[in-house]
Amino acid sequence: MDSSTTSAALTNRTARAFCLTSAGWMVMATLMGLTGATELIAPDLYHNISWLVFGRVRPIHVNLVLFGFVTPGLLASAFYFLPRLLQTEIYSERLGLITAGLWNITLVAAVISLATGYSQGREYAELIWPIDVLVVVCFGLVCFNLFMTVKRRQEPLLYVSVWYVCAAVILTSVTYCIGNVIWQPNSGALVGIPDAIILWFYGHNIFGLLLTPLSIAVAYYVIPTAIRSPLYSHTLSLIGFWSLIVVYTHIGTHHLLQVPVPTWLKVIAIVDSIAMVIPVMVFLINIWYTAKGKLGEIHADIGAKFVFAGTIMYFFVSIQGSIMALPQVQRVTHFNNWVVGHAHIGVLGFAAMIALGGLYFIIPRITGRPLYSRLLADLQYWLILIGVVGFTVVLTTVGLIQGNAWLNGETVYRVLPEIHLYYVLRASLGVLIFSSAIIGLYNIIRSLLPHPGARA
Amino acid sequence: MTLRMTPKAVIIGSLAILALITFVMVYWPYATRDDTPSNIFRFRSPEEAAGRDIYIANGCVYCHSQSIRTIDWGHGAERIAQAGDYVADRPILLGSERTGVDLSQEGGEHPDDWHIAHFINPRYTRPNSIMPLFAFLGEKKLHTLTRYVQGLGLKQADHRMQRQIYWKQEAIKAYESGPVANVKWLADHVPAGWRHLPNPYPTTDAGLARGHMIYQQFCLGCHGPIGDGMGPAQPHLYPPPLNFTILHGREISGGILYYQIMNGITGTAMPYFKRELESEKIWDVGNYVAVYFINQSDANQEPRGIDSSWEP
Repeated sequence: MDSSTTSAALTNRTARAFCLTSAGWMVMATLMGLTGATELIAPDLYHNISWLVFGRVRPIHVNLVLFGFVTPGLLASAFYFLPRLLQTEIYSERLGLITAGLWNITLVAAVISLATGYSQGREYAELIWPIDVLVVVCFGLVCFNLFMTVKRRQEPLLYVSVWYVCAAVILTSVTYCIGNVIWQPNSGALVGIPDAIILWFYGHNIFGLLLTPLSIAVAYYVIPTAIRSPLYSHTLSLIGFWSLIVVYTHIGTHHLLQVPVPTWLKVIAIVDSIAMVIPVMVFLINIWYTAKGKLGEIHADIGAKFVFAGTIMYFFVSIQGSIMALPQVQRVTHFNNWVVGHAHIGVLGFAAMIALGGLYFIIPRITGRPLYSRLLADLQYWLILIGVVGFTVVLTTVGLIQGNAWLNGETVYRVLPEIHLYYVLRASLGVLIFSSAIIGLYNIIRSLLPHPGARA
Repeated sequence: MTLRMTPKAVIIGSLAILALITFVMVYWPYATRDDTPSNIFRFRSPEEAAGRDIYIANGCVYCHSQSIRTIDWGHGAERIAQAGDYVADRPILLGSERTGVDLSQEGGEHPDDWHIAHFINPRYTRPNSIMPLFAFLGEKKLHTLTRYVQGLGLKQADHRMQRQIYWKQEAIKAYESGPVANVKWLADHVPAGWRHLPNPYPTTDAGLARGHMIYQQFCLGCHGPIGDGMGPAQPHLYPPPLNFTILHGREISGGILYYQIMNGITGTAMPYFKRELESEKIWDVGNYVAVYFINQSDANQEPRGIDSSWEP
């Protein structure tokens, strides 16, 4: 599917810009996560510094991970592989660069506004209206650039990665507007229970219609390319794509099972949460059968290694997610750190692993040189893998302690001393993730810049 | 022959699916919503609404839910959330995590001065708390935020606030009439059965050690490490926390201590602990206070009935 003649002519400027965006914001995003985790151990640490108060740090962390680190990382790969899969150039690299620039301005505005207390107070939809508009403009520009690229393609058939990228960017543009209630500039919210329903519809779509399809697109590109084999099944690709869009958009209300929302809505959310097994396993069977017997080649390419590890995390987080949607399970898991653990497996273990894998896969192919350091990339791989598995164990354990203690009638305050140790472990693991971000940024910058003393 | 995946099929197809599902999963529940206010509903005052903005700006919602479930025991568990409680909430602040307590029914649980001390440094009133300090908000904003928090629970909060305000007047009157009258006032409000009840457990080293631990986790912020009522919260509270060291010879029974710890003293910063501490823990901490600070314990005195089988 790769054409070396086309590749040589491509400048990949947009892909490079998104690589740097992702690697840079990963440092900031994980630093904010580490800061928040530290405050849960030592709440007096940032004594009365308003912009470092936990309630402001947390949304900065979450928004930067979603929109600063993971999404741009996945888009970098998309801007790399779309021209190759379509046998054409990106419609406008210049527009791509402008988009990346605007994207970074949006992120800076997001950090400043949240740190200074400008928030709409809705999880994943905190950003105030002017920044919401910037986000939508960024996604709109990406849509325009990519769709025009598709339109100008030389290759008549669209590979499965192209479907996923196109669907992800257009559906996210729409669902972002809906979820942020963008027609209500002042509040960005509906009133009462419908606000909770629309918020979690959107909140889950950020994973279901943005991170997941982009990650799947990258996996569908990287794994077959790395092992030089065709994809196992076109039919499975089709089933996986359409079932993902149908099923994933139904499940947001599983966040509201213990809230007075209509029962029929809860039933649909639970049933479809179980049905998530279909798109998940169809994709995984397709990608794992493609890779069957070729794990050595995947292991040899650090990018493919990241991506493959991400697919295993996808399996775990999705099966866990289906189980967590059962009301009987939620009696224990809701409102505590179990869910935080789940979110970290999904976003860090699955989407971020694949985003980084995409970066490490495309960077040597963009520059025509090996990575600056394969060792550092490997080190980052292990730091993240140990970190995310550690998060899973620690946060799941904390969640079980909290959930069962509460069910047993112990108050939140009474349980705090029991979970302190786990908060220490969690912050310690956060140090691994933050260190890996610094290592990754250094490695990616050195890989993209001309090597010092290299031939011109 | 498989489905031909053209750009149109992908983009129009996925948008059509999204539109249909948004209609069913978002618009339909919106269109069929029930706006009927619940029995506890009232609108917020402008000051409460301003306090809510401070709550949102500082991300209180990430640690405090406002969503009481059928399975809850703690704070506010007497009132399971109804859709009609939220009909003026834009945005709704259900929250997704309980790093701190649920605040649905926080209004009137404590008097205002407790909240101010707690916002200035949560460890002042709750030594194990991991909540950040909010002194940076300044006095004015802290008072506005307190108005919001004291309105949580709406009509039920108003009922509790009236009780807080009434008993605060009474408690201040008693405090200002001098220590002897104050101690008598406090003891007289304990039901007679409790007043004449000695602590049924004998004083043991293990029991005192447990009482010491409970004291550090729940009492120290107001009553201070040596029980003189000079904990770090003291400058912010009026009437101030009780000085235990003046209670010697004033007939403070184990039952009086137990009842006050269990039920609190509404109107003052002294909360009730019946949700946090089970029976033995309350007896243990009461005896710790009696032995170390009052220097007079009635533990295991008559009447005590048949000795418990575990007693030494």
